[in-house]
Amino acid sequence: MLAPDGSLRPHWHTFVSKLDNLGQAELTRRWEQARQLIHENGVTYNVYGDPRGMDRPWDLDSLPLLISAEDWKALEPALIQRMHLLNALLKDLYGAQMLLRAGAFPAELVFANQGFLRPCHGIRPPKDLYLSLYSADLTRLPGGQWSVIADRTQAPSGAGYALENRIVLSRVLPEIFGTCQVHRLAHFFQKMRQSLAAMAPHNRDNPRIVLLTPGPYNETYFEHAYLARYLNYILVEGGDLTVRDQCVYLKTLGGLQRVDLILRRLDADYCDPLELRSESTLGVPGLVQAVRAGNVAVANALGSGVVETPAINCFLPQLCRTLLNEDLKLPSVPTFWCGQKSSLQHALANLDKMVIKPVFPMREFEPVFGARLTEAEREELSARVRARPHLYVAQEQVALASVPALDGGQMQPRQAVLRSYLLAHDGSYTVMPGGLTQIPSSSNNLIFSLQRGSGSKDTWVLSNAPVSNFSLLHQDGRAIELSRGGSDLPSRVADNLFWLGRYVERAECAVRLMRGVIARLSERSDAGEDHVLPELLRALRYLRAGQHALAWDPEPELSGGDVLKFVMDESRSSGGLYDTLRCVQDVARMVRDRLSNDTWRVLRGLDEEVAWPAAEDTVTASELLDILNRIVIALASFGGLASESMTRSQLWRFLDIGRRLERANNMTGLLRSALVRVAKDEPPVLEAVLEVSDSLMTYRRRYLSSLQPAPVLDLLIADETNPRSLAFQLVALDEHVTHLPKDRAYPSLSPEQRLTMALCANVRLLEIDALARDDQGVRERLDETAVRVEKDMVALNEMITRGYLSHVLPSRQLASYGRGAE
Amino acid sequence: MRYRIRHSTCYVYTEPVSLCHNEVCLRPRNAARQKCHQIELDVSPPPDTMARRADYFGNQIEFFTVQERHKRLEVTCQSEVTVEPFAPPMASLTPPWEDVAETMRGNDACRHLEAVQFVYESTYVRYHEQLAQYALQSFPARRPVIEGALDLMHRIFKDFKYDTRATNVMTPIAEVFDLRRGVCQDFAHLMLGCLRSLGLPARYVSGYLQTTPVADQERLIGADASHAWVSVYCPSFGWVDFDPTNDTIPSDKHILVAWGRDYADVSPIKGVILGGGQHSLKVAVSVTPIN
Repeated sequence: MLAPDGSLRPHWHTFVSKLDNLGQAELTRRWEQARQLIHENGVTYNVYGDPRGMDRPWDLDSLPLLISAEDWKALEPALIQRMHLLNALLKDLYGAQMLLRAGAFPAELVFANQGFLRPCHGIRPPKDLYLSLYSADLTRLPGGQWSVIADRTQAPSGAGYALENRIVLSRVLPEIFGTCQVHRLAHFFQKMRQSLAAMAPHNRDNPRIVLLTPGPYNETYFEHAYLARYLNYILVEGGDLTVRDQCVYLKTLGGLQRVDLILRRLDADYCDPLELRSESTLGVPGLVQAVRAGNVAVANALGSGVVETPAINCFLPQLCRTLLNEDLKLPSVPTFWCGQKSSLQHALANLDKMVIKPVFPMREFEPVFGARLTEAEREELSARVRARPHLYVAQEQVALASVPALDGGQMQPRQAVLRSYLLAHDGSYTVMPGGLTQIPSSSNNLIFSLQRGSGSKDTWVLSNAPVSNFSLLHQDGRAIELSRGGSDLPSRVADNLFWLGRYVERAECAVRLMRGVIARLSERSDAGEDHVLPELLRALRYLRAGQHALAWDPEPELSGGDVLKFVMDESRSSGGLYDTLRCVQDVARMVRDRLSNDTWRVLRGLDEEVAWPAAEDTVTASELLDILNRIVIALASFGGLASESMTRSQLWRFLDIGRRLERANNMTGLLRSALVRVAKDEPPVLEAVLEVSDSLMTYRRRYLSSLQPAPVLDLLIADETNPRSLAFQLVALDEHVTHLPKDRAYPSLSPEQRLTMALCANVRLLEIDALARDDQGVRERLDETAVRVEKDMVALNEMITRGYLSHVLPSRQLASYGRGAE
Repeated sequence: MRYRIRHSTCYVYTEPVSLCHNEVCLRPRNAARQKCHQIELDVSPPPDTMARRADYFGNQIEFFTVQERHKRLEVTCQSEVTVEPFAPPMASLTPPWEDVAETMRGNDACRHLEAVQFVYESTYVRYHEQLAQYALQSFPARRPVIEGALDLMHRIFKDFKYDTRATNVMTPIAEVFDLRRGVCQDFAHLMLGCLRSLGLPARYVSGYLQTTPVADQERLIGADASHAWVSVYCPSFGWVDFDPTNDTIPSDKHILVAWGRDYADVSPIKGVILGGGQHSLKVAVSVTPIN
C-alpha cells in the first residue's frame, strides 16, 4: 500500500479517498452487516479438531487487496507460463518419462511420492489437459517482486470463497467498488463452464457435469456446494455415482444417468477403491477404468497431485528451458530439496533462516521454523533430515510485503499470501483477475493455511479502463436450456430430504407434546389428581419408545419438579427431542446445496438460538416453555417455506413424503397412547389431544365447547380437510406416490400406489361411532385401526426405500488372498 | 521345466451381489527365463465388460464387471509355462552394497529407473528403523550385495517361524518383526523392508511353486497356493530372486506371475461388490510338471 518513501502507492488513491468519505462509523456499521450476511449465508470453513467443530464462520477482512493494472499485466503471463509448464511436466511423468530418463527430474520425487498414481500412467486426458484448474500461492517480497510459495495442482480450493468474498464486499462497499474499475470475476467462471464442457468426451453440447465432493465433513464443503450451485453442476458424493459398462452414471430417482465429466474436489487417490486407495469409502469403484476407456473425463486428471510438492521449485527454472524453451518468469521462494547433497548441506548450515517442510504432505510433520528451535531441537531435526534427506525441503524464510488489514477498527500491517486461480481455456490458459488473499490471524503468526485459521480478503485487480458488469448470477440466454425435470435428483439427496421431513415432523410433535405438558404444569392450581398429564407423558414416551410405552403408567401424583425432570429425561434420551434436533441439523447439512438460503437460515437459527438445556435443574418451567415456543415457530417457518417456496419437484415430494409418513405415525401413536384407554374424566384429555394436534380451534368452531369422543376422532382421523388428520396424510401420500418416477416393471399401478389407495379407501370407510365406542374402558376398534395403519406405514416406508432410495447402499471390498497361507 | 497351472478362486455370497468390479492379476508374465505358452481365463457368471492391459510394472491385468445378480463368482486361470533354470551370479563378485545403494541416488539413478522405483516405501513396506538395524547385521561395510542378501534370507528363515495363524493380509511388517512369525507374504515384505531401509532396490514377486513333489525331495512351503518371494537388483547382472520362506534362490520350481512394490500391486484378485451379505472364499491351485 505504501511506497518505500512512506507515500501512498498511486493505485490506492481512489480507494482511500472514497473510504475516507465513508467515515469510520459508517464503515464499522456496514462491516457488521457484512458479518451478518456471511453468517446468514452460512459461509463456513470446517476445521478438523476445532472445538467448535463444524462450521467455523468465514473470516473476511473489510479492506480488499488492491493490485494495479500494471502489476497484473506482468504477473498474468508469468502465471500462465507456470501452469503451462506444470501441465507439460505432468504429461511427461504420466507418459514417456523422458525427463526421468535424462535425469532432468529426480526419480525420488516421483517414485517415493504417493501422489504418483501408477494405475493412471498412460491415460491421456482430453486435449492433454492434466490441469484444468491450477492455483498458486503468491507473495510479494519487499522489493515488489512476486514469488511463488506453493503450487496447488490436486484439486485447488478457494475459488468459491474468493467469489463469495467479492459478492459480500461489493455489497458492503458498492460505491467504492463501482468507481475503482475492478475486474469482475464472473467471466472466469463462465470460461470455466465452457472449458469443462469442451473437455467432455461425449455430448459436448449439453454434457452432464458433476462436482464430486468428499462430503459435508470436508473443510471446504461450503465451497463445493456454493460452486456447484453457481456453476449449475450437480453436487455429488462418490456413493451417488456408479460404473456400468465402463461408463459413469449418476444414480437418480429416474434411474441411471450418464455422466460426462467429473470436476473433482476429492483427492485423486480416494477416487477409486478398486484401483487406488482400497480403504477409501468416498470414491467410485471402477472409475479409473472408465477414465481409461475414455468414457468420462476427470478434472483435474487423476494423478495431477504428483507435482504438488515444494521441491518442484528447485527444478522449474531448468525444466522451463527444457520443456518450453523459455526462461521461467515467476521465481519461487528460494527452496532447497535435501535429496541433493549440496542443497542438504546448505539447508543444514543455514537452518536458522529456513522453514523445513515435508516434501510430500506428512501428517506427523508440520513445517518447522529453524530460527525458533533450541540447540537440542536443531540437532534432532538435522539428524532426522540426514537420515532420509529426500523427504525434506528447506525454504528460505523470506520477509513478505505487508498489506493493510482492519484489526479492532485500526488499520494494521499484515503479511499476506495471494492464492491465484488459473484455468485451461480455449487452447491456452487464463487467470482469474482476483483471488483469495489470506492473512494470518495475528501478526506474529507466519503460517498461512485456511486449515490453521487464516483470515481472508477480497482481491481487487484494477483496470485502467471501464469494466463490464457481467455476472453469472443473473444470466439468461444460456445456449442450451437444460430439459431436466426432477428425475435426475440423486437418490442419496432424496433419501436425505425424506429423513429431513421425518425428523422435522418428529421434532414438532415432541415439542407440541412437551408444550402441552409444561403449559398444564403452570396452569394447575394444586398438585391434586390430574387425568390429562399421565396421558400426555405416555404419548411423549410413545413417540420415542413406541409400543413399550403403552403399558407404562406414570406415578399418580407427580410434582412440578418430577414432571420437568421427566420431560428433560425424555428429551435427552436416545431418540428423544435433542437427538432429533441434531439429526435435523446433520441431514440438512448433507443437503445444504438443495435448501434455499432462507430455509438454511431457519434451520441454523434453530441450532444457534435455541440452546436445549442440559438438565432439569438448569431451567425453569417458564423458560422451557419459552424455548419450546421458539422451536415450534422455527419448525413452522420451515414448514411454511417448504410449502410456499419449494417447487413441486421430486425434491419437495420426498421431503413431504417424510413429513406425511411421520405425521400419520405420530397421530396413530397419540391416539393409541391417550384415547384407547378411556380416562375417568375424559373431556380434558380430549381437549389436550386436540391442542397437541393443533386442532382445538377447528373443533371449537364446529362444536362449540361440547367435547365428545366421536367428533374428536372424526376430526383427527377422517376429516380430509384437516391438515393434521390421518386421512389428510394418507391422501397426500397417495398423491405423492402417484407422481414418483415410474418403474417400467409396473405399467399400471406400483405396489406403493396400491397400498396408499387401499389406505385412503379404508379410512374413508371407517365408522367413527364404532371407533369411539367405550367397551369396558377400552376402545378396541380404535386400537386395531391405529395398529393397522402403523403397519401399513412401515410397509410403505420399505417400498419407497427399496424402490427409490436403495442404491444408497455402500459397496465393499472383497476378501483378498494370495499371501501363501490358504 | 514345463508346467500346467490351474488357479481357481470362488466366492460364495449369502445375499445376491448386484454389481461387482474386479481386477485380476493371474496371467503369468513372460520374462527372461520364462515363457507362457497358452493361457485361458474364465469368469462365471460371464462378465458384462472385460478389459485387459499391462500395468505400470508390465504385469497382465484384467478388469471385469459383472452386472447381473449373482450369489457365486468363479475365476479360473489355466496356463502352460516353461521355466529355465537360474544360474545365480558368484555372490562374492557382486558389487559392495553401499555402491548399489549409491547408484540408486543422485546423478546415476536415471540410468537404473527400472530398479530405482523399488527403493522407496510402499503401501505394505513402510520404513522402520529397527528393520535397518536388523538388516545391517547382514550388511557389514563393503560386503557384496548378493552375499548380504543371502545372509539376510538365511537369518529371516532361521529367526522367523512359518505360522498361518499369527498374521493376516493387513498385518504391518513392524508387527511381523515383533511376532517373529508369519507366512510367505510377511517374510517377503519383511525382507523388502530390510533391503529398502538400506537403500537397496528390491521388488515383490508373486507366483507359484511346483506342487507335485518329486521323489526324494522335500515339499516346499507354499505349494498348493499362490506364493511370494523377493527379487534384488544387482547392477550389471540384473535381478536375483530370494525365497525367504524356503531359504532358497528360486530357479525352475518357482513360476512367476507378476512383480510390483508389494502385495498391493499384484494381489491375484481385487474386487468391490454391492450387496452380498457374508461371503466365503475358496482357492485351489495346482501346478503339474508336464513333458
